[in-house]
Amino acid sequence: MKKSTHIFIFIASLLPVSIQAAEVSVYKNEQSGLLTWTSEDNGFSIELIQLLPDFVYAVYSKHDFPKPEIDRINTYCVFGSIIKNTSPQQISYKVSDWTYVDTAGNEHPVKTKSQWLEEWRKAGIKFSWTLLPDTGTFEVGDWQQGFTTIKLARDTEFDLNYTWTLDGIAHKGTLKNLRCAPEHIKQP
Amino acid sequence: MKKLSALIPALLFMTVFTVNAAWEQPTLGYTLSPLSKPVEAPNFKLEDMDENEYDFSEYRGKVVLLNFWATWCPPCKREMPSMERVYQKYQGDNFTVIGVNQMEDGDRIFSFTGSLDTRPTFDILLDSESKVSQAYEVRGLPTTYLIDKQGKIRYRAIGGREFDHQEVEKIIQSLMNE
Repeated sequence: MKKSTHIFIFIASLLPVSIQAAEVSVYKNEQSGLLTWTSEDNGFSIELIQLLPDFVYAVYSKHDFPKPEIDRINTYCVFGSIIKNTSPQQISYKVSDWTYVDTAGNEHPVKTKSQWLEEWRKAGIKFSWTLLPDTGTFEVGDWQQGFTTIKLARDTEFDLNYTWTLDGIAHKGTLKNLRCAPEHIKQP
Repeated sequence: MKKLSALIPALLFMTVFTVNAAWEQPTLGYTLSPLSKPVEAPNFKLEDMDENEYDFSEYRGKVVLLNFWATWCPPCKREMPSMERVYQKYQGDNFTVIGVNQMEDGDRIFSFTGSLDTRPTFDILLDSESKVSQAYEVRGLPTTYLIDKQGKIRYRAIGGREFDHQEVEKIIQSLMNE
């Protein structure tokens, strides 16, 4: 092994990146059958909640979105997402660093709020809320919620890779076997 | 007929919102984060639901809890009663609460506040184009700032809080006593 390779490995080993197994819990709403995944690790809690297309439709109808635009949003699988700082230090996240992996193993970037807003502006929509902010810097006790959109069909599985920093130290996490909500509530 | 058609999205929203009730789970905390370097709170002029104009500079000399919110935002709704309680407790002592609503009209806000068990009596202003929230660099709702009597932002909270918690009241009292 070349000396330069040894140096690279040594430097890489010092980089402040940690990958640890997070605690993941899955909650099933007995009434609706909809699932919620929660993972917490190194001060970062992420919760993804399946949302029905009807719910998404109702939210954006309430904000007077044109129907074609709502239909377009509903070609994505939409989750309610809640990010919380569970640590006594500062955390930050950047959605543009997050990816999802489909069942074929292909990795895709998660669409950001800024990307949506740019498209909405072109469609003449001024409304700029409901989506999870692209970036967040959370102090003690801070948390935020908003929609996260994944370009996959109903009822399909995927893994979400996400990153954050805790007090300046970078961390990674993966939520495995997430599933897009079905078209409708499944009757028992 | 027009009123009925306006109601349909709201009714649909309420129905499917119940199905997605897990959206409302997080408990509200009480920590406010101090800014390491207090900054001047951007000035603004906004109207309330009765089209009365308010100039933020006229609040100078009071401690202001400035809350950015919307009716569709679950934690905004949950923290509002605590904002009203803290407002009722300290409003005569150089303290006030201002709710800055994002992109909604007066009718919708009036209907919403009327549905609350505790109807807010503090000032609610309409940021109909979200320009004020942009000036305050608000990325998500709710976001709240605590502004001192000199008009400096001293504390910030992202996400819902219980504003009448004793720890928050201690901070408010300390700013009022400066």
